[in-house]
Amino acid sequence: MTGARGDICDVAVIGAGMAGMSAALFAAERGLSCIQVGNAGSLLFASGLLDFLGVHPVPERQLWQSPLEALAALGRDEPDHPLARLDADLIRSAFESFVTALGAAGLAYAPLGERNRKLFTSIGTIKTTYGVPRSMVAGVRVLEQRSPCLLVDFRGLREFSAAQIAATLGRNWPGLRQQRIEFPGYEAVPELYAAHLARALESGELRARTIARIKPLLGDARSLGVPAVLGLARASEVHAAFEAGLGLPVFEIPTMPTSVPGLRLRTALETVVSARGVLRRRQASVRGLSFGADAATITLELDGAAAGERVHARAVVLATGRFTGRGLTAERKQVRESILGLPVHQPASRAAWHQRDFLDPSGHAINRAGLLTDAAWRPLDAQGRPAWKRLYAVGSILAHQDWMRSKCGSGLAIATAWGAIEQVARDLRATATG
Amino acid sequence: MSTALFHPALYASLALCALGLAWRMSAWFRVRVGPDACTVTPWQRMVAALRGVAVALFGRRLFRVLGALVLDALLLRRLYANAKLRWLGHQLILVGFTLLLLMHALAALVSEKLFQGYQPTLEPYLFLRNLFGVMVLVGVGLLWFGRRRERSGFAQARAFLGAAFVALLGFVLVSGFLLEAHKIASPRAFYRMTEQYAGTTDAEQLKPLRALWASEFGVAFADLQQPIAADLVERGRELQRDACASCHAKPASAFVSYPLARLLAPVTGLMDAAGADTWLWYLHVFACLLGLASLPFTRFFHVLAAPISLLVDAAAPQRALSAQPYAIEARASQRALALDACVRCGICDERCSVALLARYLGNPDLLPSHKLIATGALAKGRLLRSGEEEHALRAAEGAFLCTDCGRCTSRCPVGLDLEDLWQAGRGDLAVAGLAPPAQWVQARPALAWAESLEAVPRQHGLAAPDAAFAPLSADRRSFSRCVQCQTCTNVCPVVAHSTDAEHGIDLTPQKVMNLLRLGLSDLALGSRMVWDCASCYQCQESCPEGVRVADIIYELRALAVRRLGSVRSRRQAA
Repeated sequence: MTGARGDICDVAVIGAGMAGMSAALFAAERGLSCIQVGNAGSLLFASGLLDFLGVHPVPERQLWQSPLEALAALGRDEPDHPLARLDADLIRSAFESFVTALGAAGLAYAPLGERNRKLFTSIGTIKTTYGVPRSMVAGVRVLEQRSPCLLVDFRGLREFSAAQIAATLGRNWPGLRQQRIEFPGYEAVPELYAAHLARALESGELRARTIARIKPLLGDARSLGVPAVLGLARASEVHAAFEAGLGLPVFEIPTMPTSVPGLRLRTALETVVSARGVLRRRQASVRGLSFGADAATITLELDGAAAGERVHARAVVLATGRFTGRGLTAERKQVRESILGLPVHQPASRAAWHQRDFLDPSGHAINRAGLLTDAAWRPLDAQGRPAWKRLYAVGSILAHQDWMRSKCGSGLAIATAWGAIEQVARDLRATATG
Repeated sequence: MSTALFHPALYASLALCALGLAWRMSAWFRVRVGPDACTVTPWQRMVAALRGVAVALFGRRLFRVLGALVLDALLLRRLYANAKLRWLGHQLILVGFTLLLLMHALAALVSEKLFQGYQPTLEPYLFLRNLFGVMVLVGVGLLWFGRRRERSGFAQARAFLGAAFVALLGFVLVSGFLLEAHKIASPRAFYRMTEQYAGTTDAEQLKPLRALWASEFGVAFADLQQPIAADLVERGRELQRDACASCHAKPASAFVSYPLARLLAPVTGLMDAAGADTWLWYLHVFACLLGLASLPFTRFFHVLAAPISLLVDAAAPQRALSAQPYAIEARASQRALALDACVRCGICDERCSVALLARYLGNPDLLPSHKLIATGALAKGRLLRSGEEEHALRAAEGAFLCTDCGRCTSRCPVGLDLEDLWQAGRGDLAVAGLAPPAQWVQARPALAWAESLEAVPRQHGLAAPDAAFAPLSADRRSFSRCVQCQTCTNVCPVVAHSTDAEHGIDLTPQKVMNLLRLGLSDLALGSRMVWDCASCYQCQESCPEGVRVADIIYELRALAVRRLGSVRSRRQAA
């Protein structure tokens, strides 16, 4: 492991969102020395649910119970889609590695299967996803069986309404009841915040008082749904204590971002990546890249909190995301890649960026803009050749995908990171032996 | 030459100096800094001090005290670590002046007793006196040069008295050199000496001697024929050996006075006629006596107070290590001593972490060296007199905006425990009813402040001058990225622990950011969020958009002191 500044590491990952974290994690697990640059804050927008592939084709909004069958269909219809370029078994191994690592950091997920799962959200809508945190998985069976269930929420927690869920789902679910209670100790506070409740519930005393307030309300309910506030760092312990204290399955209902499950995911990923030996520059960004004269190394010039620092790497993985992650910049006439100015595959003119109707089910051309890569995940220059021989791109910055509408955000990030890191390892080995 | 006035003046100065010293030193036991200092009497403090001296002299701490005497008080190692140039200047003055005092001024008590046949006009004393004098002058020059390079942006408090004392020191040196130069060149002095030691004033008889003294000793005879015959000089040398040599060496080694004597040669006759040897002597000696008498009343009292403070500090139980609390009897005296021991070097001001804020608010009392004076003025009751209200308010602002970072203490060349002094001073301010900004800001809700601000013309708006001091709040780009995701609020421990509806947090961090986005920062200035922020930086580190939330909140606090302070004084005036 190269550590000190000035050393050359194997991989530099730019970006600390889902794709950047996956790339850093997989690189470290393969024994590559890795430095990661970027703020993991965007993970706070994650729901904690890990989508694989839920919808295809997008215009028809067709939902799939089996992500593997969906992947096969995607491969037939859209061979350029980044996910379609990866083998199904390989994607599943990537997911397994990812949730195993999260489990090691204390964030437990229900065992992954071959099927997507359905659960309901804080506004009563149904969400199809693949990887579900253990604290939420009881909600999947409850929704299937529509068994008697109590939803409890807390006065003052504005982002969550049990009444709204009951109003939406109650028509076809007679056993669904809801109750609003005061969160103990916060009776005088007008507005509550999920993370504060989560932290408060890690204290045994407040937890016991909360459980004591809920218990008399249970009635004939066979399960309990609560907003996702059951602990932060010690979430497994809090969830287990609720189930033991109430004597029935308890499930968290995902809340609007930024949410407690997002905080947990960020903390777990930061913990596990650091524990695997990845050097991190958290409050930093990359000002520019320069390629060594010998073509063997690439130098990153850092900015932000690490301004002035230079990092040398044999390979670079670009995981900078799209517009909100600032990997892509939308200018008046065109979209630009933010760090290197790589050519972006995009509509010919701004007029073609969007459909006439904002809510058009097909989505917009701009959503499928992004970087084109060769088979080895290397972004292409204007002539269609790899921009540099060991520069790779992963995650949502890639072209030919609309992850929001396909419900494949986590899958895209985890799978392309897996594919690219496998390629990095191969290429570095070839350099070493050749 | 009549010196009749000398002895009365000497005794008067000595008496003044002694009285002054007694008065100033008694203040170390009289002056009470900090409310806890009021719990002990001067008598208890004096007893504690005597006991402390006994313990230091006969205990294990003696070696530490001796070490401090050599390393800190004499070699000034702390000053050396901070400012090498000033250390050099200071050492030159200290060594040069001490040696001049012993060898020259107190010659009757020291040099004549120690060195047989001591005469000020013999080698090596001639040379050494010039050397020591030049050392002091160069030292003063270096300190003046160093002072000019300071960048605290505020005039040093009571600078005039200090400058006057330095000027007096320079005058003593310059008048001394002039006196010596005149005596070298003066024919009148020559004749007085020959009359006394050769028993003649006859010009013909003295011709060879005059020839020698004119050519080799720099006497500026107006009536000497040029050129001087060599054989005459040789004959003069024999006379010299018999009559003068036991007391007079060639003055060429007086490397300042001798060239000066040659320079003065054309006017030496005039000066002789005007009795220059007498009045130059009076000027020189009376300047010395004036310095002696005024020493206790200027900040140069530190020549005594600073070394004593260093020794007391070495004798006291170690600040951080000691298990037993440091008795208030001793601490109270040490605080009062610190007020005198401060040398006003301003090194603390250069390192002060709120120096920028001091310039922004235009309030020098944020800076340690100024704050120390204000603390003393408050302890002595001067700050509470009528007419001092503005200064008292400034002192309170300075005391309570201090972040207790401790840089001043760690850099103080005199090793003062400034933290303790600041804490005591804040206690005194609170007792005097001078509240910290947080207290008066929080006495009214944020909305009430915003309304008061609205009533004032927009001249205080976030305009150009603020951008230099509040760059983040003045620049939209620093907060426009905020997407109101609530992450800052979710991770904020202050919001999390605010479970009291009445005194709880009124605005969450993300709401403060939103007010900035809306151009309504006035609404945030008096908010509890801004004033209760613990600066833990969780918000800033978690922000997905990289907004520097904590930095902006701290900046708003500085803005609030200025902007709300302006409305506050209007309200009070009205």
